Amino acid sequence: MRISRRGFLKAAATAAASGKLTPAALCKLGDALRAEGGPRVIWLQGAGCDGCAISFLNSIHYATVDDLLVNTLDVEFQSNLQAVAGDLAVSAAEAAGAVPGYVLVVEGSIPTGASGRYSYLWPGMTTHDGLLAFEQNAGFILALGACASYGGTSAGAPNPTEAKGVGEILGSDPRLINLPGCPSHPDWLVGTIVYLITNGHVPPLDAHRRPLQFFSERIHDNCFKRRKYCGDPIFADHLSDVGCMELLGCKGKHTHSDCPIRKWNSDAAGEYGVNWCIGARSPCLGCVNPDFPDGMSPFYEYLPEPDKGGRMKPED
Amino acid sequence: MATTITIDPITRIEGHLEIEVTIDDVNRQQQIVDAKSGGTMFRGFEIILAGRDPRDAAQYTQRICGVCPVSHALAACLNLDNAFGIAPPDNGRILRNLVLGANFIQSHILHFYHLSVLDYVDTTGLLDMSPWTPRYVTADMATGSTASTLVGNYVAALAMRRKSHQMGAVFGGKLPCTGSFVVGGCTEVVTAEKVADFRSLLTELRSFIDNTYLSDASTLASLFPSYYTLGVGSGNLLAFGVFDLDGSGTHKLLDGGRYTDGAPAAFNPAEITEYVTHSWYTPECGNKHPSVGETVPDPDKADAYTWLKAPRYLNKVHELGPLARMWVNGEYTNGISAMDRIVARAQETKKIADAMDGWLDELVPGAPVYQQSTIPEQATGVGLTEAPRGGLGHWMDIDNSVITRYQVITPTAWNASPRDHLEQMGPVEAALVGVPVADLNQPVEVLRVVHSFDPCLACAVHMVRPGDRARGTKVLIHPGIA
Repeated sequence: MRISRRGFLKAAATAAASGKLTPAALCKLGDALRAEGGPRVIWLQGAGCDGCAISFLNSIHYATVDDLLVNTLDVEFQSNLQAVAGDLAVSAAEAAGAVPGYVLVVEGSIPTGASGRYSYLWPGMTTHDGLLAFEQNAGFILALGACASYGGTSAGAPNPTEAKGVGEILGSDPRLINLPGCPSHPDWLVGTIVYLITNGHVPPLDAHRRPLQFFSERIHDNCFKRRKYCGDPIFADHLSDVGCMELLGCKGKHTHSDCPIRKWNSDAAGEYGVNWCIGARSPCLGCVNPDFPDGMSPFYEYLPEPDKGGRMKPED
Repeated sequence: MATTITIDPITRIEGHLEIEVTIDDVNRQQQIVDAKSGGTMFRGFEIILAGRDPRDAAQYTQRICGVCPVSHALAACLNLDNAFGIAPPDNGRILRNLVLGANFIQSHILHFYHLSVLDYVDTTGLLDMSPWTPRYVTADMATGSTASTLVGNYVAALAMRRKSHQMGAVFGGKLPCTGSFVVGGCTEVVTAEKVADFRSLLTELRSFIDNTYLSDASTLASLFPSYYTLGVGSGNLLAFGVFDLDGSGTHKLLDGGRYTDGAPAAFNPAEITEYVTHSWYTPECGNKHPSVGETVPDPDKADAYTWLKAPRYLNKVHELGPLARMWVNGEYTNGISAMDRIVARAQETKKIADAMDGWLDELVPGAPVYQQSTIPEQATGVGLTEAPRGGLGHWMDIDNSVITRYQVITPTAWNASPRDHLEQMGPVEAALVGVPVADLNQPVEVLRVVHSFDPCLACAVHMVRPGDRARGTKVLIHPGIA
């Protein structure tokens, strides 16, 4: 039973006014939302920390999580929120999975060691088997967070469980969209769902299957710390000092995401967040990169760019 | 005749948990006579951490748990401060407390409204869509205006927990997973504007806690008085202590301590031992202090049923969490039960939120937040603090300036632990025994008791469930003759 979709439309209108959704996209959004039945979502959690689900609960820029759950989405299986446990929860997931066309959200990595037995969704169903079962009828597959996208921390060396990202399991699948980050930003998930509702197809992606809408610009190029000292560069000597933190390990020069503009933990529809890692004078960890965390750490050491064959100069 | 049912997945928790209970007639009542808890996911964080730069521990260990990353960040930072031999400036210590406090409020609100309340409320006519359907409807559930109020506050609480994270991000950079916790303090600086932003959100949250959360917890307690006698468990309580009030490390908002065999006693971390009698580890891994802990799997071990070790304090089973913290500090004395856990958690939320307002006054804008240090060539460290769901310990060895051993014992490792070398059940297992189950198809009583511990299974890092489990099982609450 759907109570009202007005709240979501209002939030989307605010977002459109702030330049995130075009008026044409908004018209399409209205049409989509007036139609019966919102997008159906099945949300599976493999080897991860549930941090991306918690981050999703912080959604407000495009729509609040209650608005999404009540008015827009049919989240037919989501273990953190599901009212029932055990067999009733599993049959809800199985019934949903039998009807094609849902959005499959995968959170956490997919362990493949020990025949997948390091992570079970429910008795007899490893996360690996679950992914293979539920991808079949999925219209779109959203790999949410660093672990689901590329393995993430769960696959950190020596990767004891042989954990993999969804793309490594499914291969080049045209339905797959990676939304990395540790955790992923709620706007990256909700904004992508908005795109899917309004356009009905996968958004433009980069080589790592990340939506260009969120992952096209380099953090370093939009970073206030760099901009402020451009022309007369100041480098921070220690953490918490003013200045560019590249020499302290900041990976902003090797990382593409809209964190400097979008920021994190927004308080209102259409508004950007209150802070972000570099805003709090801590170095970017490069958590949206496919080689996070191993290729991005030590986190507090200046790392040469691997493909440039040695230690880079601090400036471009 | 005894019936064994397995409930998997236990939903509305963090991580993957399976509960198996055996139910039989006792004095003409159908009740739980045996219980086992087990996790179904393993990542091997302690193995992943070996060989890494010690400073990275606060970032890696936050990824153990998306609900309590700040507690892992703090345990790692205390561990590093200890190993590096430095102490953060007062501003740094206070900022850590404030971001941790923000996440405690977030976690406690999430636990009460979004993980627990649905066990007690018939949401028919109020939340008639997925993921709240299908649902359990039992005769004892709240209905009418009470149900309507609780469901309304479920929605309001979604905004409140979001604001808690927003508040924490003011000094933490972002949440979940703060960037600003580092060895030697915090990276974010103190400005009058940031203090005002934080206080404005805190004031709103304190109003919600005082006027809504506490009163909803009371409502639940008055509607379900039987849960003041159900879910008792071991009866022993243990707290590590949290929220340092000065640089000494000994004066805390909630001190460590324990309550064992009905009497208060001091907490000495040297008296923690992990046992593996019923865990899939070689016998050599047992009977060890976590600072020298080992993790050698033995999946074929006889009589084992979980990959969780059994941490014990002087051979005794202890429960960790808000009730333990409030009890050993003399702030809560009503009793030990499922409902006492819920009420003590709500009261603790107020205590922490009120204290945070005072900590804001202690911040000095412009004063240092961070103390620079260098990685020691060789060192050992320990970091003890509390997660929202109980005491958390990190131990590390550093050699050649890299991590050579990292051991984590989480609160859920204690609370959801298996039987030990003395055949004593873990706290959740013990709490389930004696709980009546009216309808095997709607085992809400089991969920109420399990949820009262606020289990966090992703945190319980040792856990694996590798047993060769039957494929294609469709009936997961399967009444089977034991």
